[in-house]
Amino acid sequence: MSILIEISENLQKGKAKIVKELVQKAVDDGIPAETILNEGLLAGMNVIGEKFKNNEVYVPEVLVAARAMNMGAQILKPLLAAEGVQSTGKVCIGTVQGDLHDIGKNLVKMMMEGKGLEVIDLGTDVSPETYVQTAIEQNCQVICCSALLTTTMGVMADVVKAAEAAGIRDRVKIMIGGAPVTQDYCDKIGADVYTSDAASAADAAVRLCSN
Amino acid sequence: MPTVLFNDVSYTVPAGSRISDLPPYKETAALPCGGHGKCGKCKVTATGNLSPLSETERESLTSDEITAGVRLACCTTVEGDCAVRLSGDRAASVIRTAGDMPEITLCPAFTAYGAAIDIGTTTLAARLYDADGALLAEASRLNPQSAYGADVISRIEAALRGEAHALAEVVRRAINELLTELSEAADIAPDSIDGAVITGNTVMLHLLTETSVEPLSHAPFAAKRLFGEVLTASELSLSTLAPRTQIYLPPCVSAFVGADITTALLASGICRGQETALLVDIGTNGEMALWHGGKLSFCSTAAGPAFEGAGISMGMGGKEGAIDRVYLVNGRLTAHVIGNTAPVGICGSGVVDAVACLLDAELLDETGYLEDGLAVIAPPVTFTQEDVRAVQLAKSAIHAGIRTLLHTAGIAPEAVATLAIAGGFGSYLGTANACKIGLLPSELRTAIRVIGNAALAGASIILLNRDLREECACYAKGAVVELSTNPVFADEYMERMLF
Repeated sequence: MSILIEISENLQKGKAKIVKELVQKAVDDGIPAETILNEGLLAGMNVIGEKFKNNEVYVPEVLVAARAMNMGAQILKPLLAAEGVQSTGKVCIGTVQGDLHDIGKNLVKMMMEGKGLEVIDLGTDVSPETYVQTAIEQNCQVICCSALLTTTMGVMADVVKAAEAAGIRDRVKIMIGGAPVTQDYCDKIGADVYTSDAASAADAAVRLCSN
Repeated sequence: MPTVLFNDVSYTVPAGSRISDLPPYKETAALPCGGHGKCGKCKVTATGNLSPLSETERESLTSDEITAGVRLACCTTVEGDCAVRLSGDRAASVIRTAGDMPEITLCPAFTAYGAAIDIGTTTLAARLYDADGALLAEASRLNPQSAYGADVISRIEAALRGEAHALAEVVRRAINELLTELSEAADIAPDSIDGAVITGNTVMLHLLTETSVEPLSHAPFAAKRLFGEVLTASELSLSTLAPRTQIYLPPCVSAFVGADITTALLASGICRGQETALLVDIGTNGEMALWHGGKLSFCSTAAGPAFEGAGISMGMGGKEGAIDRVYLVNGRLTAHVIGNTAPVGICGSGVVDAVACLLDAELLDETGYLEDGLAVIAPPVTFTQEDVRAVQLAKSAIHAGIRTLLHTAGIAPEAVATLAIAGGFGSYLGTANACKIGLLPSELRTAIRVIGNAALAGASIILLNRDLREECACYAKGAVVELSTNPVFADEYMERMLF
């Protein structure tokens, strides 16, 4: 199974092209898609996630590793569907209304995908209604909001209110994050979870989805 | 043959060459007494394998200068590998004046004396002119709004918190102080300054005029006021001046592409030619403009303050004690310190050099992984793994912004004839190293032209020729390329983080 280790190691180095080739080779060798995903791609992303949490690698490594993962995952997607593999949970994520910064949000998304979650990316400038509607229509267990500007952070409180008004607070958890956000702020607006970095956010989302 | 690092560039020269005979010296510096060791004006800072200090040098240099490695270029010969740079004072004065302003026809926006002012997020700078176009005085100071936060967003937030009036007050007071300082330096009465131009980014002009910054605080960031208008001194509470003194605020392009860029464009002169050219102001907000086929397009990219020394563990501004140049001499890091004192930190130009040298020395790999997580630049100044990360984010934002502008216009980097670098940091930038670390596209290396504080130079130009306001107004009509939602930018941003 050394090809899976090879996939994991090349993914960690961000060698997207090689990862893609190796994944194709693994498929051709008859290794099940789920095994390639879990023991190759996700194993590699896990290492990156841990290193990111420990400050050994930074945003660029995560971005290039995630790009490599996506290249590999594209090959696996139809095969996984055919094998009937289910994701471990469903999250919708976006940068709040009035804010266009999406790097942090994208990092979180990549880390979550790296944990095997299905992530619906609502993009930037997302209204509270869009979060709630998507969560209802797509059966998401988690709504995840990002904001980089102190001037737009307040929209997160509106997302919590909109979720309450829609009556989904018992089944949908709300996570928040971004440079100006704090645990105090999370408590104040009644959101469920705040995390300070993307890797912790992915861990938290997995926990919330498995509850 | 020995290798000489002359201001960042490496040359191989025969042993025994006089420093004053080296081509890079001859190209950039003068020998007022013809190389006879009489005038003492050919000072350089030189370290490494050089001829011993001559009697002539002992006479004309102070003991502090000798300790700091200052030599006379005409008395010093290269014996082996060494590093030479033109002394700090000379370098600074060269930058302030060289290529700063094109020749212009006089048509002043004032009668006796006029002032041009640039409100930077970090620094205010001002110049005083007379009606003949003579520069009488220059002054600068830190923007006192810094007490409310270092970047424009934190200032916007403060204004929305109810501090808008206080923010306007402090910057107006600082401008009054600058005007007083200028008039004292020129020995004129402050109220004889009867015309002024104040440029700055869009947020700075909003705060100066106490215009609501609410529209600038969230997407779609649609500025309701883009200036290009005349106000009076009394409207701006500039009490140093006579109340009806006319103050012109040049036009902004958008919420994050300000009047500082439209005036910088004027000073750069890039829109006067047929050739494709870029103007880039490398600051906390990297603002840039592309001139191509008679059209302008703009973008702004959040680079963060790494190149202003902030966000770097031992970072500092470009003042005494800051490492501003780093060389690799025989495989070892060698630092130059502003003021030739013991190093206490590192400024933006030093950061760029340091990263380039670490790459050269293979202590830093292409992903930005720093061996041992720490590099000693010059004790006690170190560079950490986190510092490298901050540089990666900043440089890729600028680089990706440039490539996205080019891509949007459908042209290749090779088509760019001039890349004008504006802004305080840019003046000291080692351009070869900037390309090496991927802050600027390496295809553009030979096209780079450093133009200093072009925003202030441009404000001076429209102060001295009011008719050129029209030209600024035309510039402001250019298209703005939005980067945060741009897939090309997202790809480039990721790509350019690597070295």
